[in-house]
Amino acid sequence: MDPTSQTEKADKNDDLRVNFFRPRPGFMRKEVMIIWGTLIAWAFVTFGLPIHIAWQHSDPQLTLEEVPKIFGIPFYYLFEGQFVIVWFILICFVFNVLIDWLTTSYRSRR
Amino acid sequence: MENVSVKFLPLFVLGLALVVSLSVGMISRRQARSGYGVQFQSIGHASIGAAIASNWMSAASFLGIAGVFFVKGYFAFAYVLGWTGGYVLLLVLMGSQLRRFGKYTASDFVEARYESSLARVFSAIIAILITLIYCVAQYKGIGLIFGWIFGIDYTQSLVLGVVITIGYLVVAGAMGATRNQQMHYLVLIVSFVVPLAFISNKLGYGMSLPQFTYGRALLDLPPDTARDYLFPWTFGTAYEWIALSFTLMVGTAGLPHVLSRFYTVPNNRDARWGVVWGLFFIGLLYWSAPAFGAFAKVWQVRSGMELDAQSAYQLADLVVVKIAEWTGIPEILLSIIAVGGILAAMSTITGLLITGAGAFAYDIYYRLINPKATEQHLLQVAKAATLVLAGVILLVALNPPGLIAQITAIAFALAGNTLFPVFLLGIWWDRANKQGALAGMLIGTLITFSPLLFGNLIPGLRTILPPTSSALIGAPVVILSIIIVSLMTPPPPEALRRFLVEKVHSP
Repeated sequence: MDPTSQTEKADKNDDLRVNFFRPRPGFMRKEVMIIWGTLIAWAFVTFGLPIHIAWQHSDPQLTLEEVPKIFGIPFYYLFEGQFVIVWFILICFVFNVLIDWLTTSYRSRR
Repeated sequence: MENVSVKFLPLFVLGLALVVSLSVGMISRRQARSGYGVQFQSIGHASIGAAIASNWMSAASFLGIAGVFFVKGYFAFAYVLGWTGGYVLLLVLMGSQLRRFGKYTASDFVEARYESSLARVFSAIIAILITLIYCVAQYKGIGLIFGWIFGIDYTQSLVLGVVITIGYLVVAGAMGATRNQQMHYLVLIVSFVVPLAFISNKLGYGMSLPQFTYGRALLDLPPDTARDYLFPWTFGTAYEWIALSFTLMVGTAGLPHVLSRFYTVPNNRDARWGVVWGLFFIGLLYWSAPAFGAFAKVWQVRSGMELDAQSAYQLADLVVVKIAEWTGIPEILLSIIAVGGILAAMSTITGLLITGAGAFAYDIYYRLINPKATEQHLLQVAKAATLVLAGVILLVALNPPGLIAQITAIAFALAGNTLFPVFLLGIWWDRANKQGALAGMLIGTLITFSPLLFGNLIPGLRTILPPTSSALIGAPVVILSIIIVSLMTPPPPEALRRFLVEKVHSP
């Protein structure tokens, strides 16, 4: 018998643990892994990029000409102002595809 | 009275919009009764997304973001980021699990999860406070636009606007009209995007995709002004920017009226995919809003209009309508953008007032004051509470404490500091208990209001905890408090923990 499914069975009966940082093996653990992946992509634009921009533009002598640009507009401006919405839509899309796949695979097992 | 100049076309368009809205509301209700409603609801995920976006779009989105952009340039993107990224948190951390939990309001969830009537009452008080703050911002939007239409001062127009809004609510209630969310979204987005294309054209930047070409307009500004508007930290520090966008995100994921959207959808999967579409539809508005602010700035510089900081702030929340007026686009387009702003604010007010009054009647009055009250009596209490709430909001809105987007952000800070941690741990930690939830909501409320109450007394408090952005520090502190208090007190009963494992966290 597959040792993973044995653990899952044992857990189902005895362990009532729900903990985001120590998820139960099986469905919850895989779901939490997908959530972590999505949260990392979310944190990239929420914290990562603003901190990077702050660090890059901290010099008060810096002029607009010296900033990396696309179509004549600063890159960070296009990204944090416009593309970020596309980014959020994309990560929600990928999250949904993965959760659909996970749910289907676990439902068919039951 | 000779100074009063009423703009008749916007007034006519407003009247027409309200009559059409009521009529469609009646038809939607009849269709729902005769079964057509089911067919209509299953149009698909795009339809659910439009309903999510329609529920979301308020005066803060319609008028507020452009206003912040007009005075603070790039800093306004913290609002765009916050009010879209919050849906990612909601979808990823809570959407499916809350649905499987099976409770329909924030208070229902809190009582069921934490098995405490006191926690329920506390969460209802928080929901009412959120309603109050959120509506103050909407009232300001209504007051400004009515003032513009009727040519009267802010106080008079605010009272007039509130009377019309409450009147509409009463008539819609009496007729039993429900709001057709999809049509409402369509009306709002068209009344926002079409005039923008004309404004862009009038300024010489063409009609196609002004949402992306306005960047060119900003580069046409004098170098110093362009630098201020495009550079990231001219109008706020990196900390303020990140704290604001994070606060708006956790606030979105904790707002009662946003959460309840998840329950009105037939199944979990549809609700999840609806969010993707919802984000796209909200995005259409947020791609456009900064363009209004940018074009208004370009117009101001070109026309040589001198504005000190205070005048710019006073003008900011009406800038969406003003730029349409300044550039001289056709009057019908000017009218529909003004009416769009009123409709966005009115729909939010009516929705929130009903929720807030319901929370008072069913969660506070019934639980604490009169547990023997009949359903009919509770309905009367709810109606009275609606009027009282509307009056209280009117008094606060007479002297609005900030820009529309800023006032709204305080409501988000409250939701992010209280309900978000309580929901998050309620779902993802079986050990969280009622003592922890009560302590968390109390500490979260104190954190939210401390910069407003003690900001002048304690130096540096508003720097660390800006009133609009307190959840970057607040939410983690509250989460930690819930964990500590829960660990010091007995765990929740086994039946509840089993329910979490077997129902809430199963596929």
